[in-house]
Amino acid sequence: MAIKAFTEEWADAFKDEVNKSAVYKTAAKGWKWTVGLVVEAEPNKNFPESRGIVMDLFDGAARDIKVGPAADAQKCDFVITAPYTRWKEVATKQLDATRGMLQGKLKLKGDLPTIVRYTKASQEMTECTTRVPVEWPDEK
Amino acid sequence: MHDAGTGRMARRKVKAADEELVTYADPEPSAFASMLGGLIEANVKGSADKQTDFDNLVARVGIWVTDIDEGVTLDFKGGDLVVHNGLSAKRTITIRADAETVMSLSNLRIGPLGLPVYFDETGRGVASKLLRGNLKIDGLLPNLLTLNAVTRIFSVQ
Repeated sequence: MAIKAFTEEWADAFKDEVNKSAVYKTAAKGWKWTVGLVVEAEPNKNFPESRGIVMDLFDGAARDIKVGPAADAQKCDFVITAPYTRWKEVATKQLDATRGMLQGKLKLKGDLPTIVRYTKASQEMTECTTRVPVEWPDEK
Repeated sequence: MHDAGTGRMARRKVKAADEELVTYADPEPSAFASMLGGLIEANVKGSADKQTDFDNLVARVGIWVTDIDEGVTLDFKGGDLVVHNGLSAKRTITIRADAETVMSLSNLRIGPLGLPVYFDETGRGVASKLLRGNLKIDGLLPNLLTLNAVTRIFSVQ
C-alpha cells in the first residue's frame, strides 16, 4: 500500500528499507554523521510547506529517521536541499542523485571529501527511497 | 656577519592557512566546478602530501562528465588552482567519463610510491572502464606522472 510522501509513516518505511539493505550496511561502515534532507515547498504541486527529514545514521545503520520542520534538517552535519519535484524525480529514478548534485539540482552542504568517500552508500540510500511505495501529493 | 639585505628568498610559496587555494574563472561557477574546487581545496588543506603535490603541479586538466554534458578545466599553477566552467584550450590531460566514474576516480586509494591502487574493488572498476573505453583520458601516455599527481590530489582516500 502506498504511503504519503515525506510523512512520519514514510520515514519509518524508509528507515526499514535502509536497515534491510546489506549493500548500505557495508558501504556506510564508519559513517557517523547526521544527514538532513530539505524538501522545499511547491504549493502548485500540492506540497505547500517545506519539510525536513533528519537521518541519524551510524556505522551502516539508520538509528532514526524523522520528518519535521526544514530548520531541523538544516542543523545536520550534511544537508541536501532540493524542491519537492526534484526529490520526487530522485525517488522515482528519473534523476540520479550523484548527477543531480554535480548539476546543482540537489544542493549539498557539508564536508565534500567525506560525502565523496561514501558515494556508494548515498547511492544505495537513494535506491532505498525507490523501494518505498509512495503516494505523491501532486498525483492525487 | 650575516647580511640580511641582499640574499634571495627561497621560491617556495608560503600560504596562510585561511588563504584561498582555489579560485573560479567564471563569475558564476557551475555546480560541478564548485564541487570539484571545494573537494580539492578540502583535500589539499587536510594533507601535507597533497599540499606538496598541489604546490608542484603545473598542468591544465579537463574533466568532462559524459552523462550530464558538463565539464571543467582545472588550471593548476604550482600552488594555486583556477577552475573554469567547461573545457578550455591547451589542456595537458582531458578525462571523459560518466558521473559515477568521476566519483570513483576520487575514491581511488593511493598505494606505495604514491601510485593509485588499481587492484582493489574501486581500482578494478576504474581500470575496467578505461579498458572498455567508458573512461577516456586524452594525453595520458606523455603525462602519466601528471595524472598520478592529479589523482593523488583528487583522492579522498
